[in-house]
Amino acid sequence: MLLEYATPLTFVALGAIFAYSFYAVLIAGQLSLGQAGFASVAAFSAAALAPGREEVGEVPALLIAVAIGMTVGALAAVVLGLPTMHLRGVFLAIATLGFAEAVRVVLLNSEWTGGAQGLAVPRILTLGMAWTALAVVAYWFWRMGRSRYGRALEAIREDELAARSMGIDVGRHRLAAFVTAGAVAGLYGVLFAYYVRLIAPNDFDFAAAVEGLVTAVVGGSTMFLGPLLGSGFQTMVPEIQRAVGVEAGWIRPFLASLLLLVVILFLPGGLASLLPRRTRMPASSGKDDEDGDGRSHLATRRHPGAGETVAALTALGKEYGGVHAVRNIDLEVRAGEVVGLIGPNGAGKTTLVNMISGLVPPSSGGATVLGVTIGRTPVHKVASAGVSRTFQHSKLFNRLSALENVLVGGHLVSRPTFLRRLLWLPSARRDEQAALEQAARCLRRVGLADSAGIRASALSYGDQRRLEIARALASDPSLLILDEPAAGMNHVEAAKLSTLIRSLAADGLTILFIEHNVGMVLETCTRVVVLNFGEVIASGTPEEIAADPAVIEAYLGTEDDEPVTGSIAEGTLADPTGGDPDDVAPDAVINVHPGAAGTLDPPDTTPRNAT
Amino acid sequence: MQQLLNGIFIGSIYALFAIGFTLVFGILDRLNLAHPAVFAASAFVGIELVERGGLSLWAALPIVFVFGAVLGLVIERLAFRPLKGRADAHFAGLISSIALAGMLIAVLQWRYGPDTRRFPPGSFPDTRFGVGGAQVTLVQVVILAVSLALMVGLTYMVTRSRLGRGMRAVAENPTAARVLGVNVDRITAVTFAISSALGAVAGVLFAINVNTAQLGMGSAIELKGLAVIIVGGMGSLPGALIGGLVLGLAEVFAVQYIGSSWRDVIAFGLLFVILLLRPQGLLGARKVREV
Amino acid sequence: MRAQLTTLAAASAATILLAACGSGEEGGGSAASGERAGEGTGDSCTIEAPVPIGAVLSLTGAAASYGESQQKGLELAAEELAEKEGVTYELTIEDDQTDPRQGITLFDEFVTSDVSLIIGPTLSNAAVQADPIAQEAGVPVLGISNTAAGVTEIGDYIHRNSLTESAVIPQTIAKATEEYGLEKVVVMYSNDDAFTESGFEAFSGALEDEGVEVAEEITFSKADTDFRALLTQAKESQPDALVVSALIEAAIPLVTQARELGIDVPIIGGNGFNNPRLMADAGDAAEGVVVGAAWNSSSDNPENQAFLEAFEAKYDAQPDQFAAQAYTGLKLVDEAVRSGCSADREAIKEALGGLENVPTVLGEFSIDENRDAVHPAVVQVVQDGKFTVLE
Repeated sequence: MLLEYATPLTFVALGAIFAYSFYAVLIAGQLSLGQAGFASVAAFSAAALAPGREEVGEVPALLIAVAIGMTVGALAAVVLGLPTMHLRGVFLAIATLGFAEAVRVVLLNSEWTGGAQGLAVPRILTLGMAWTALAVVAYWFWRMGRSRYGRALEAIREDELAARSMGIDVGRHRLAAFVTAGAVAGLYGVLFAYYVRLIAPNDFDFAAAVEGLVTAVVGGSTMFLGPLLGSGFQTMVPEIQRAVGVEAGWIRPFLASLLLLVVILFLPGGLASLLPRRTRMPASSGKDDEDGDGRSHLATRRHPGAGETVAALTALGKEYGGVHAVRNIDLEVRAGEVVGLIGPNGAGKTTLVNMISGLVPPSSGGATVLGVTIGRTPVHKVASAGVSRTFQHSKLFNRLSALENVLVGGHLVSRPTFLRRLLWLPSARRDEQAALEQAARCLRRVGLADSAGIRASALSYGDQRRLEIARALASDPSLLILDEPAAGMNHVEAAKLSTLIRSLAADGLTILFIEHNVGMVLETCTRVVVLNFGEVIASGTPEEIAADPAVIEAYLGTEDDEPVTGSIAEGTLADPTGGDPDDVAPDAVINVHPGAAGTLDPPDTTPRNAT
Repeated sequence: MQQLLNGIFIGSIYALFAIGFTLVFGILDRLNLAHPAVFAASAFVGIELVERGGLSLWAALPIVFVFGAVLGLVIERLAFRPLKGRADAHFAGLISSIALAGMLIAVLQWRYGPDTRRFPPGSFPDTRFGVGGAQVTLVQVVILAVSLALMVGLTYMVTRSRLGRGMRAVAENPTAARVLGVNVDRITAVTFAISSALGAVAGVLFAINVNTAQLGMGSAIELKGLAVIIVGGMGSLPGALIGGLVLGLAEVFAVQYIGSSWRDVIAFGLLFVILLLRPQGLLGARKVREV
Repeated sequence: MRAQLTTLAAASAATILLAACGSGEEGGGSAASGERAGEGTGDSCTIEAPVPIGAVLSLTGAAASYGESQQKGLELAAEELAEKEGVTYELTIEDDQTDPRQGITLFDEFVTSDVSLIIGPTLSNAAVQADPIAQEAGVPVLGISNTAAGVTEIGDYIHRNSLTESAVIPQTIAKATEEYGLEKVVVMYSNDDAFTESGFEAFSGALEDEGVEVAEEITFSKADTDFRALLTQAKESQPDALVVSALIEAAIPLVTQARELGIDVPIIGGNGFNNPRLMADAGDAAEGVVVGAAWNSSSDNPENQAFLEAFEAKYDAQPDQFAAQAYTGLKLVDEAVRSGCSADREAIKEALGGLENVPTVLGEFSIDENRDAVHPAVVQVVQDGKFTVLE
């Protein structure tokens, strides 16, 4: 039975391997069509350079060819990747496509490839070998899935900017993914050559690249079995049509395309979405395992001692086409402070924190944050110095679960596990476990422990904001920047958030946060900075700010949000626990997740390595 | 001189074809890979209209224009609209449009067979001009005129008309456009219609120009079209024209001075260099990333 | 399972049942071999069981137009053979989608489904990839359009009835040189196709033998349709003729555009040009095109005349060389089967290899010791919208 279908099954394996070379980059959100080019160079180089089977025997000949092919494929990917890694989306696709086409034309014009008539290659590959190779490739991607490296790639796919802010070196990761694609494509090229006996440059043309992409996407580009399913689908459709007796001719490609359309429209996530997906939950062995066992597997960070300078800004300015978004700001933030940044819309608050977190280079002045100079340091370096942030508009990794989001947040403090996972080393398991526990702690701290398995995009708005905070906390930062964390929260939620922020500060964390809810800022912060038209118009303790006539005129005066003004004038300052007691009770029942109230309120006892 | 003209004529067809790509890309940020199939389908339909229907080419062109527009609506409705709001819409849109293109080509083979076809002789006056010692046919002049007219008309429409303003608003920020009362779905559909209609006209003119229509004619020009929009700048209409001409001339002069074998390498080399040096293309505007 | 599949395939519309009723009981494996021997010889040969024949053609994809012509040729031949007493054929035509993977898969399936012989595949590259499967399994193959060198070297089961370019082109160049006094030519060919590239090599060799100077070699892609830049380039060399190795899709626009640019010298083509579409689509521009080909479409031998008539009657169109060779192919298979009166794989292989001086559409046909075709080639020129032999 199996042998009867040896040929199609071999092509299923080959197609799947080729699809994995697309999967390798799709998982990181890159659309590349250069794989056909990699496969082509690899196949021709291997066929030309590898010793014949007469000399070394069949299997060694194939293995040597595979080694040559994968090396050539990976090298080609490096050569193409270095100049193109800054391209995104369709631009990258077209650039890589241009490369593949150029490769094809060059090979056609070369003597040694036999031109259009192709190069004869002995058939060595058998069904068993093809599936062995496929198994190895699939294993690679399976083990990659839940490693730190795999998560980082997924994070890049979901939101590159947020990934950068989590300390992920996006350029390196993208290049690594690209080189993996090159090596896998090279593997495919060689195996294909050693099965079909004759390779011509046209076997690796645009249509071939498109088919590889289609296979990967139809199968599902977010789940490691996707390429295999896609290849099975693509290879078996013609077989089934023949078996069923569909007339040879136009109707077959028509039906195949129709089927493809149906799958792509009705199965978001591809065929792999039909498979049940196990959502990973932290092993809740010890509810509060702060006994140091878990943490020993996480990298530790040296935090600045209380009172040390965390960020120093001198005459910092940013100009967009003549408009000064921020000008001439001098500011010093010291460890342990909770600095609130307030000001009307367009005052330059977000621009300022973007500069501090390294996302936007200043156009004048300078700043040093946790020892790194802002402007010349890439975002992920700033992050690894200990800056972590949330965004004004949530930038969660939407298709990842809440827990996975937080795991990515812990990128900087967890250890690389991929290679060790390949070998099933117990230490990798321990490190993953530690990262999981850390992530679970962060989720608990913001009150989202029960939502760990839920996709980020499926969370309520308020939960998304809290998840962002949990993600930012996971990197064990020294400076936490929150950009309007309470936007869209009701009083109760905002009050809880305020409590959380203060408890974090109590642990020694330095916090800089932008907020429109002035009442909350005044009650939470140790210092408030007011911006207007890009300049600091006031800075001081909450009490001083609340009394500052300049602030009231420039900022509060223009604010038409009555309740805010009201809360400053009266209740909030006097009642630092926040909100009207009358409002709290009903809201708490309606809006707070079951169990969340209990977990958010008590100050977290996680020890921080403040020195 | 002849080569210069050759380059300009082929370039203007590239441009006409590429505008379809670039319009949709500008609005949706997606590549419509069914565009090449529209290009081929309309050439075959145009031939049928002239051959069987006995229409003159002038009568057939507007019908083909409408046919293309309808195909565009179908493509939008079947391959793109259902994907709206999906996280993987970017890749899925590529695949669904490829699938639709596959169906379209299969239907063409069913209807017309796999053989090449052409417009019947005499369906277009065989007039030739001598320009500075070079041969130019009336068809080529018409192609250039039609491309320029469509380009100018389209640019005018996009900059001046209500529809054009809607298109630009959607291109800039669909969410904001919706809030401002722009009917985003309608604008998107209309964009597809216009883009495919242009692709359809390009297909007919191309088939007349080279005296042949083939099922694979769209895929042959597809890569060139992609190169054009990159060279000219994604989403830029004048960019598509310039890009088309640059590519056409580059190819012609590659043949002349470097060798015909390397012509396609030149095209893709050009593409590559542009992408590296000026990713936004010659006339494209760099999109500022919002944080 | 396998037998069931075969039955299903036999029931499909692509299958031509030549027997009134397909017996469908030829099981898998080697058992069938013995049953396929019959009694008598030649026209009197009678074989009980229907003879299963597989054909692998490119019915969709890039080579669809050739595959379709071949399908027509095969179906016409099959229809005619059905009227002959004694032997019935069960011809299954399958589509390889111009995809090497499908070609290999189909050969594999035909080999295991115990066909007596496989016809095809359409493209030479596919033949190099798929024929070894038949060779290893001991199934005879008859190529009906493979022209690349080395195809029959794959093994002693691989035959073809298509003349290679090297058997056609030297004659063409010699005739043309003599007729037009060629001294300097420009050679143009699509370099991304195995058939046209090997045609180019044959042209180059022949031109060298004739002492004709090649002023320039110009390449293009088989998908190209705008040749003006290339032709302008060619024109500058002021050649005595354009020598073109291209498929018909490129030939039509190339010839039209050459004339449009005022290139009035003869255009010399190979097998790819031997297609009535050339005159139909290029019209007046085709006048004076010289075509060296394996099939003389205007030949007045009775087989050819009958073929032309039958083809026109059935399809209301003129056949091209692909159809003629496909038609001849199935007729040759019948000849081979009847000569030994056995549809055994081995017997067919022996008989095919021994075919000699068979009168066919292509002329007197023999298979040589390399299992390549031997029959007269022809040099034609387009005159008044028709191919006429260049004497």
